Amino acid sequence: MDGLDLLKKDWEKSDSKYPKLTYDEIYKMILKKSSSIVKWIFIISLIELGLGLFLIVLNPTLENSIESPKWLDVFYYATFPVIVYFIFLFYKNYKKINATDSAKTLMQNILKTRRTVRHYILFNLIFGGILVVVSSFIAYMQMENNLQLLNGSSEAMKYTVVIFVILLITLLILGVIYGIYYLLYGILLKRLKQNYKELKKLEA
Amino acid sequence: MNTELEHSFVELLEKHQNIIHKVCRLYTNNYDAHNDLFQEITIQLWKAYPKFRGDAKFSTWMYRVGLNTAITLYRKSKRSIKTQDFEGVSFKIKAEDYDDTEEEQLKLLYKAIHKLNDIEKALVFLYLEDKDYREISATLGISEVNARVKMNRTKTKLRNILNA
Repeated sequence: MDGLDLLKKDWEKSDSKYPKLTYDEIYKMILKKSSSIVKWIFIISLIELGLGLFLIVLNPTLENSIESPKWLDVFYYATFPVIVYFIFLFYKNYKKINATDSAKTLMQNILKTRRTVRHYILFNLIFGGILVVVSSFIAYMQMENNLQLLNGSSEAMKYTVVIFVILLITLLILGVIYGIYYLLYGILLKRLKQNYKELKKLEA
Repeated sequence: MNTELEHSFVELLEKHQNIIHKVCRLYTNNYDAHNDLFQEITIQLWKAYPKFRGDAKFSTWMYRVGLNTAITLYRKSKRSIKTQDFEGVSFKIKAEDYDDTEEEQLKLLYKAIHKLNDIEKALVFLYLEDKDYREISATLGISEVNARVKMNRTKTKLRNILNA
């Protein structure tokens, strides 16, 4: 007998071999919380969305010590609708994730939701980076103008330290975001991506 | 709250629970992991149940959610690292039911299945459950032709592992 026929025969007869869970045991299970990757993606995405907002709030141009030009403030406030749009898009994509879809559609929707957050983070990093660089430059220019008024180099040193601290904090935040990404892609999405690739390979 | 819904769901699941056990059998290789996956599939089914419409068979709907959970949604817990032998736990085959060669062969078969990737396991599962290519194609989201091609390749792969 062919191995697969034997397997099928065994499979058909296997019903009696499985444990029989009672009504109460199953009921207890539905009260428990899911630990699916979608849940984790949701939590990590919320952290990322929060971090993005934090990055914007940290905007150095808002600090009183720096007189920022009006256009920079306008530029800054213009990002709020964009952020709201990203959050809306994330929610919409997240809602589309449905365990009753085909395996491929389900994987596509999960990856799409992730992509929204990745684009959001990218937007924040680029925008935040521009803001930090421009503001630091403006601050430096102001410092240069005031340099003549300063006696000695202690004040100039202070400004330099502030700029360095801003850059350092920015780098630190970037590091944290990178860490979260590493965690997410490395652990959560590895298997999904492998399986998605396997399905895509079939269609090629 | 929702007690009517809970009751009808748990009753249906109790009746059809073997479908979940069978998914778990192919995707896990120890008792703890089996229970973990069983629980996650149950939770996913429960979450999707309010949207379940009677026009699909409950069991067909279970196949889809069960496989989706095993392939995509399930996050392997730390507990599944334990290497307790599956055969030795709760599914021990009674010696009188099989002759030794068959039992040995079956052990090898399940071992070979565990070596397949997640998509191949899904194909083996759907084959064992006698699903036609239309349903296989709809469950996985690939064309019928590709499902057929992949199924044949998977069977050949299994035979090769067995004959090696």
